[in-house]
Amino acid sequence: MKRTGKGMACMWYPIGFTVMANPSAAIVKVNTDGTATLLTGTVETGQGALTVLGQIAAETLGIGTDDVHVVSADTDTTPMDTGAIASRTTYVTGNAIVRAAEVARQLLFEAAAPLLNVKPDQLEARDRKIQVLGFPSRSLPIANVALYAESTVGRPALGSASYNPPTVDMDPETGQGKPFNTYVYATQIAEVEVDDETGEVEIKKIVAVHDCGQPINPMLVEGQIEGGISMGVGYALQEEILFDDTGKQINPNLTNYIMPTALDMPEIHVELVDNYDPTGPHGAKGVGEPTAVPTAAAIMNAIFDAVGVRITTLPATAERVMAAINEKNAQSA
Amino acid sequence: MATKPTKDVIDQKVGIQDTDNSLTGALRVKEDHPVIYPLSLPENDERQATPAVGQSATRSDARLHGLGQTQYIDDIKFPNMIYAKVLRSERAHAKIVSIDVSEAEAMPGVYATVTGKEFPTNSFGPTLQDQPVLADTVVRHFGDGVAAVAAVSEQVAQEALKKIKVVYEDLPVVLDPEEAFKDEILIHGPKSNTYASKVIKKGDVKKALAKADHVFTNRYKTQFVEHVPIEPHASIALWDGNGRVTLWSSLGRITLGREDISRTLDIPQSKVRMIGTIVGGNFGGKNEITNEPILALLSKKTGRPVKCTYTRGDEFVSSTIRHPFIMDYTTGINNDGKIVARKIRMLLDGGAYCSWTGTTIGKGSILAAGPYNIDNLQVESFAVYTNKTTTGAMRGFGAPQVCFAYESQMDEMAHALGIDPLTIRLKNTFREGSLSPTSQTLHSVVVEESLLQASEAFGWNRG
Repeated sequence: MKRTGKGMACMWYPIGFTVMANPSAAIVKVNTDGTATLLTGTVETGQGALTVLGQIAAETLGIGTDDVHVVSADTDTTPMDTGAIASRTTYVTGNAIVRAAEVARQLLFEAAAPLLNVKPDQLEARDRKIQVLGFPSRSLPIANVALYAESTVGRPALGSASYNPPTVDMDPETGQGKPFNTYVYATQIAEVEVDDETGEVEIKKIVAVHDCGQPINPMLVEGQIEGGISMGVGYALQEEILFDDTGKQINPNLTNYIMPTALDMPEIHVELVDNYDPTGPHGAKGVGEPTAVPTAAAIMNAIFDAVGVRITTLPATAERVMAAINEKNAQSA
Repeated sequence: MATKPTKDVIDQKVGIQDTDNSLTGALRVKEDHPVIYPLSLPENDERQATPAVGQSATRSDARLHGLGQTQYIDDIKFPNMIYAKVLRSERAHAKIVSIDVSEAEAMPGVYATVTGKEFPTNSFGPTLQDQPVLADTVVRHFGDGVAAVAAVSEQVAQEALKKIKVVYEDLPVVLDPEEAFKDEILIHGPKSNTYASKVIKKGDVKKALAKADHVFTNRYKTQFVEHVPIEPHASIALWDGNGRVTLWSSLGRITLGREDISRTLDIPQSKVRMIGTIVGGNFGGKNEITNEPILALLSKKTGRPVKCTYTRGDEFVSSTIRHPFIMDYTTGINNDGKIVARKIRMLLDGGAYCSWTGTTIGKGSILAAGPYNIDNLQVESFAVYTNKTTTGAMRGFGAPQVCFAYESQMDEMAHALGIDPLTIRLKNTFREGSLSPTSQTLHSVVVEESLLQASEAFGWNRG
């Protein structure tokens, strides 16, 4: 008989390396037509990082995502970056980009100030204009200011900067310290259907509510969450590398190492928690890894709710769930 | 902005209107389908909008992926390029007595071979440099490379591997992490198999456990899993006439990659150029070098660009995988559902080499108690070498493992005490300004909000 159950799991997860320095550097150059080029040493590994990093630069310069061209991942041309690891790209590389773009923007403000009869600190960059704070009608197109700064003043608008999250070393005896600068939080709730005659588990639905600070690109955040859940589903129910007694892998292929396919994926409902981290770039934290963290735990709790057995060794294959059900039945008999 | 085009328009512009599967069609090269700009493909307004943050802008690389214009390593070809394959160990633990590559080198179509002894510094690793580029004295798991061949094609390189003669002298094998912890069989010379540990202590766990209304003790275990990126590890090396080597690589961190190439080959960083191509999935598995120094040396020997793409089998056996954890949780809780003490001991299967174990044990230990205020806490974790595939960075660095343990036990306790799983969590979760297990003051904390919002969206209380 198929029995349904629900289970929840919440989690916390840090952004960046544990104590160890993990800096990023960035270079932002504003072109004389008001578009810009961003140089970053990080690598696009499929998550959409370069789009997000371009958005962060665009925000600081007051221009659109499409106005920024991102050059990445070439040690001959791009500055150092600790890389696409530890859910750090948006936060750490993003913070470096904000700082680099601020340097470039300051040069625009200094060029524009005498033209608008104000001080540089009375200006802001918005909607592709350099405008007087509180008096948006007193403005100049960013293109004009960038051209003026480069070709008349002789100070092209470009900036470079780096960022490293501040940490405090952990005491070796007690572990006390500040290993990370910020953390994200999340809850996932799973609804499952367990066949108590075969042990087979079908995940019907997962609700995922994640914190990433201010989402830079909500669509890409949702994509990360759905991808993380698919990894969590495999971790919960299917995936396991097995070894024989000589230490050789038994199933190093996709025929015998079973992963979730589209057909194994449940309905997923994604929401973000309204949040803003003042230490992040435009309030953002990160989202990459944590999306895969609570899924298996929520599924195991849902299995318990459905059939009353606690799976304490992953993955919860049908065989393992059935064995637990049989053991429970034997005990109650 | 651009209006949404019909399918016919897209097909016509992209040149995919011809769907015939005749031999002529199948043999046609990509150039038969030129991508002529501008295309009437949809573009969303969010890419133009200001402010840029908060916009669901379409990815700048999406269109090129869709059109097949993105160049993954597999798409990159150079004139006179040759292909490398790596011979893997036939033992989980053995001394290498000798490696004879002469027959392989004599094979028609083979350009060069390389073994571990030829690397100026035959070791690498993001924390401990305990891993050889190619094993030259000892193999510690079946995934260790022992020699590599560069040949005119992948097939010839694969055939040549069969001609390499390696003589091994078996060493005792230890596979079980609890056995490895006893140090009866040592994997890395005279040193203990326990190569990383972490302690976190706060309050008085013993006293608080004695005073708690209930004490729950449970063991949780997790398995080895692989990242399975769609694109396996791949790279191309070209050593030029100025003695400068350029590497196109699927590595996720080129800054560290360049340092490792410079170190293993003993050449200045200024003589190394590393280009990170668009990567078809990383998930932590591409955060350290693999075959890059091997290809560099093969290119130096042959004067040709050398490419190596892992097979799916290589990917499983020789790249890193996720750490299995054995986790013992003892938790003291009062009748009202408030956790007063938690004692955790964890043993990580560290595989044959360190890789990113330091980070995994660190994050795993710091996060192990969950997002909960627990005044009395003790976490002790150990990672040991075993003669199995190297465990390293994988999405979450130990967090999915410990979350499975702390959230399973949370529900066990809730069930035993007759408290709703949501209620018991809300009773214990971090709030703004809470102190973490390392006594860090937390900011921007929204775990309670996430619990309530998810419960609302799911309809948790609707029976």
